[in-house]
Amino acid sequence: MESMNDGIGVDIAFLLLATLAVVTGWRVFRTDSMVRASFFLLVSFIAVGVIMILLAAEYLGVAMFFMMAVEMTVMALFMVMFMMNPAGLNPMNMVHQERIAIGAGIAGFLILGAMALLAVFPDQPVPADLEPVRSLGNEMLGDSMLIFESAGLVLLTTMIGVVVLSSHRGRYGAAAEGSMPPGLEPGGDPAGKPEEDEAGEGEHHHHHHHH
Amino acid sequence: MFSELFLPVLMVIFMLVVGGYAVAVLDRLVASALGTPQAGGIWLAPIARGAWLLIQHANATEAPDWRAWRLAPALYLALAAGGLAVVPWSASLVATDLVTSVVLWGSVEALATVVIFLHGWSANSLLALIGGYRYVALGLSYILISMFVLIGVALPAESLQFTQVVASQEGLWNVIRQPLGLPLFLIVGLGMTFWGPLNLADSTDLAGGTASEISGPPRLVWDMARAAMLVAFSGVAATAFLGGGLGPWLPGPLWMSLKMLAVLSVLLLLGRLLPRLAPERCVTLMWVVLLPLSFIDLVWAGIGALL
Repeated sequence: MESMNDGIGVDIAFLLLATLAVVTGWRVFRTDSMVRASFFLLVSFIAVGVIMILLAAEYLGVAMFFMMAVEMTVMALFMVMFMMNPAGLNPMNMVHQERIAIGAGIAGFLILGAMALLAVFPDQPVPADLEPVRSLGNEMLGDSMLIFESAGLVLLTTMIGVVVLSSHRGRYGAAAEGSMPPGLEPGGDPAGKPEEDEAGEGEHHHHHHHH
Repeated sequence: MFSELFLPVLMVIFMLVVGGYAVAVLDRLVASALGTPQAGGIWLAPIARGAWLLIQHANATEAPDWRAWRLAPALYLALAAGGLAVVPWSASLVATDLVTSVVLWGSVEALATVVIFLHGWSANSLLALIGGYRYVALGLSYILISMFVLIGVALPAESLQFTQVVASQEGLWNVIRQPLGLPLFLIVGLGMTFWGPLNLADSTDLAGGTASEISGPPRLVWDMARAAMLVAFSGVAATAFLGGGLGPWLPGPLWMSLKMLAVLSVLLLLGRLLPRLAPERCVTLMWVVLLPLSFIDLVWAGIGALL
């Protein structure tokens, strides 16, 4: 703990970590693959997490590591699963609507930069007897309990809902039963449907409509 | 400055080297005890293999993600080092006595998933990619089990610090206080080092999985990292469940080493005795059987802490 108050060491660590966070954050938008972008973002978050540890937020900083690790893995895999071109090792352009994005980026930079320069930050040194984990626990299960418990319950409900919706086995049988892929052109035949012989086609079509 | 910065680093590096070698020797001992003949001497063969790998050519695939591919083994080794850094050898001898060291170990488990996936993904090769995906399925399954089990040991300690977890076992070790904890945690250990029955990522049915395309020095780092992670895990298991450095007569670090060796031997024996699980059955087993068991462990621990 003493080394944390050493000053120069903390300053150097902060500058290196901040640079790492900004550079990897920038790489997120310059890389050409969803997987790479996710893990660059993870490195950026980890650097921020270490900065939080330097700020004596020892639980929140470490929690950032495991939360973001799982989150970014799941995000990367879901993007690969659901996107037409997830660009694993195939390059792709990762940016779109560039003009709006550039405008929003400049505006965001100016506002945040102005806040950093002009705002008056409170000067409250961390008390020597601070117990970060205990004080955080008292906050979450004390005054802010209602907020955290409500948010937790909503998240749990969402998770159960997603599992139910995406599960193959449902209360009314298999989820994919009777589902058809969309046509390649509007109103066209389902894509990827095997060719049927001429005689059986009419009857099958008829049957399908009654079903 | 020296004792604060360099001594912990030296301690961790020493453990990485000695621990990795101990795993290689122990695994050979276990294998020959079970009747599988081992080529070469038990003590020298690991060193000979390491030296041989070091001078071999490092394989290249077509258009891999070079940075991720070369970094992944080193990062996995670094994660093992991070785990070893929070393992206390006695009440005072610990590389980093972070107040949230239990959570840091949880992060090591989560980040291992990222690194192993990257190792499989970046090779740009089919079997390696399948290995990487399999590992994510396994990793997401064991992380929750591990978390509940670790919250269970944090409850009687009223702390997220491993040194406090050890201190809380002064009267009774957690292996007896929470009987479900250690067996569940051992399964987590086999999972995060993808060892034996849970070796889904680098399995022989995938011709080596994520490691199917690596040779030479990267291969050496990868093998060392897996062994080191096994050591780090056994350190955490001995700390969380077997009272760490607690014990009569002998000094703390010696007790700790003996307990780590015991956990390692059990893991390596399980690795040699149990057949590999099919990935689908493994995920079902984790979510349907083991996760509810870890809930029961946590409720057990909670009631124990209240009484």
